[in-house]
Amino acid sequence: MSKNITISVFEVVGSPLCVAADDGQKVYERLALALQEGRDVSVSFLNVTALTSAFLNAAIGQLYGVFSEEQIRTHLKVRDMQADDLVLLKRVVDTAKVYFQDPQRFRQVTRVVLGEDDDET
Amino acid sequence: MKIALPPIEHNQVGFEALVNLYAQSQDLFFESVEIELTGWFDADMCAALGAILYRLGKNANSIRLDVRRSEVEKILAKNGFLSHYGRLGLPDTWGTTIPYQRFDVKDDRYFGRYIETRLVRRREIPTMSSALIRKFRESVFEIFSNAVVHSRTELGIFSCGQFFPRRKRLNFAVADLGIGIHRNVQEHTGLRLTAEQAITWATEGQNTTKRGPIPGGLGLKLLREFVGMNGGCIQIVSDSGYWKQEKSQVFTAPLCHRFPGTVVTLEIDTADTSAYALSGEIKPTDIF
Repeated sequence: MSKNITISVFEVVGSPLCVAADDGQKVYERLALALQEGRDVSVSFLNVTALTSAFLNAAIGQLYGVFSEEQIRTHLKVRDMQADDLVLLKRVVDTAKVYFQDPQRFRQVTRVVLGEDDDET
Repeated sequence: MKIALPPIEHNQVGFEALVNLYAQSQDLFFESVEIELTGWFDADMCAALGAILYRLGKNANSIRLDVRRSEVEKILAKNGFLSHYGRLGLPDTWGTTIPYQRFDVKDDRYFGRYIETRLVRRREIPTMSSALIRKFRESVFEIFSNAVVHSRTELGIFSCGQFFPRRKRLNFAVADLGIGIHRNVQEHTGLRLTAEQAITWATEGQNTTKRGPIPGGLGLKLLREFVGMNGGCIQIVSDSGYWKQEKSQVFTAPLCHRFPGTVVTLEIDTADTSAYALSGEIKPTDIF
């Protein structure tokens, strides 16, 4: 059950330029699927040459609206990421934690995730 | 109808002239509009001018450009701007222009390739450290992503840039025809701010107009940090607000009229050799 899964960002996006939130969403969907199943998942950034906060917010930041910090910390690993991209990812994660601390936002996200509200900007 | 534009530099006065052009032309329909560029024109301002003219074109107006100064005409032919208005382009022999382009919001990847091929991988680009190229590239992607995520533009995103090899400066601008920061902040926060206060709000702390499952609020802050370290300059014009950060100093002002969206201009010092050293190493195990 706890077989480790590796998700290659380059493979999912199909490009070394990981700049678009839409592309981040594709990575998110795979990560969320694995985490929902309680799998250990490694996300590999091998061959990725450009990242934006918009991409990382969509790919990883939004996990914090659905999963607990504990779940994410336990099951998600990052691999093959350049040192300054790690700094950017850390900023994205810290920002996401603060973002979802707002209970109104958290309730709204929960409604969106449950399909009760599709108000997203 | 003929409208004369004064010399346009990438500064508050230049933006005042462009929003004045928009104010004069925004209600025109089915008109022949001749825009006369009477003096100097900073090439990166093509992004903002192009956005205004595109908006004008949407009202079925026919636009003609009359460029009075031959050196300006040459630059605007080289960066492809004049090709959008029935003129022939010129080859960019010295490789100092980053072409004027219009993108749709779904064109993130196309924009990525444009930056790679027209900027990062060009031999003509003056020597810039690899750390600087990387930070600059990240910054322009952040600006474009901001326009995609926040602007709700249906008319596109416009960009253009210019190198000044002797001054060791690189200018780049992105303009959109979206709802603007002022309306965005007002709709999402209920705050009653002036247009320039709204820009200030959006560039500070962890403020974001994002709602829903994807967090935000980092792009403009990253941009500010980079420009502060580089000693460059960012300008943001949105609605009737003007905001500028030069090195680490922020200046804001109201404009006499509104811009129909948002423009972000970035100027960097290409001679900067900062390593952009990281404040403490982060291990992959420390992220979550």
